[in-house]
Amino acid sequence: MIKPIRDFATLFGTKLSLPESLIVKKGNRFFLLTTELKKLALKDFFYAGTFLGEVKNGGFFPGFDLLRMMAEQKANGVVVDKKTEWLFICGRDIFRQGITEVTGPGRKGDYVLVLNQHGECLGFGQTIRDLDKQKEGVSIENISDIGDFLRREKPT
Amino acid sequence: MSGREFFINRYRKLGWEHREIELKQAIRINSVNLTNPLDAIKRLQRLGLSLVKIPFLENGYWVNEAKFSVGATAEYLLGLYSIQETAAQIPATLFTELREKTVLDACAAPGGKTTQLADLMHNTGAIIALDIDRRRLTALSNQLERCHIKNTVVYRLDARRVSKLERSFDRILLDVPCSGNFATDENWFRRRTIRDVERNAALQREILAAAVKVLKDDGEIVYSTCSLEPEEDEFNIDWAMRNLDLKVIKVDCYGQEGLTGVFGKHLDSSLKNCRRIWPAQTQGFFVCKLEKR
Repeated sequence: MIKPIRDFATLFGTKLSLPESLIVKKGNRFFLLTTELKKLALKDFFYAGTFLGEVKNGGFFPGFDLLRMMAEQKANGVVVDKKTEWLFICGRDIFRQGITEVTGPGRKGDYVLVLNQHGECLGFGQTIRDLDKQKEGVSIENISDIGDFLRREKPT
Repeated sequence: MSGREFFINRYRKLGWEHREIELKQAIRINSVNLTNPLDAIKRLQRLGLSLVKIPFLENGYWVNEAKFSVGATAEYLLGLYSIQETAAQIPATLFTELREKTVLDACAAPGGKTTQLADLMHNTGAIIALDIDRRRLTALSNQLERCHIKNTVVYRLDARRVSKLERSFDRILLDVPCSGNFATDENWFRRRTIRDVERNAALQREILAAAVKVLKDDGEIVYSTCSLEPEEDEFNIDWAMRNLDLKVIKVDCYGQEGLTGVFGKHLDSSLKNCRRIWPAQTQGFFVCKLEKR
């Protein structure tokens, strides 16, 4: 059950050691329980513990807490400045000038976590240029950001 | 039996003179996500937010001035704080020791008090959070994810059917559906009738009765409403004392003593240990703590 999650973390050059016995799948969504929640023998719940992600369009799509766990494992990522932080949260791609630090190879096509100056994970994206060769222009395409919490609440 | 004058006259009979108030926006720091909660305050102040500590709440702050929406900052989206009305921050703080406990949040959505409970529990123990409306449950789940809550399970279940879960609880929060009050709804006087109040009061009694059945013998219930109507507050607690074998435990928090004489009726004297909050620094609110006799 944990394979799609592990495979996803591998894309960021990191390994996650999650306790498989505490992971439950509800429909297409994965949750990590605490041992206390596990004891409750949950069934038919709506949400439980930590949301890890879901299978969407045939692939695994992470929850923000999973990205946070990966950030703690020093996964490939970039740190961005304050202005870029807000633009990224608003769904924008990242310009090279807004990146203050790169962890990992930063090659074109790599998946990277996007962190703010406090090391907090804002989401993730995919590099569209080799970061070491680029001086300006768009570097990282936004795939998912925490501004999603606001967008989810908007009536459709 | 409705309308502005009708309700204002009732409040006068209860000893309170109606006045319009302007509510201050309030936030609550989610301390479990921070090594030092003051770091969040400093970050928000650097953004240009003017905050004032709420004297009677450990993690509550009033927003004096904001040049932007408090719900649209990176710090909010990262779960460092929540937007929660001042009085609504009180009920969860009234429980004695919450860590490692099994807690029921019986009418949980949209989740402000659920995330506060989890914060007070330091993400230990377990919270079982119930609500019935799918859209509100989604909002609750989003709050839990945003605030990095780990110890909560959410069920789509009517609080009146909580015994279906076959569990008993150390602590139960009953922030029951209520008629609300004029301080948070400018159309309140136009929309509400005494029939609404009576209907809500009946539903609240059903929820109280269901909750008592799943409360451990040494457990605690905190009951709260944002209604100023005694039918939903003191009358219901008086009923619970007589019919559900509960007693009121004195709480020490912002607000005035609960009423023991209402519209000519004498209620149990221990109801003074409830807290009635007339709108001023907060919205209107009622809160009390109950235990089994």
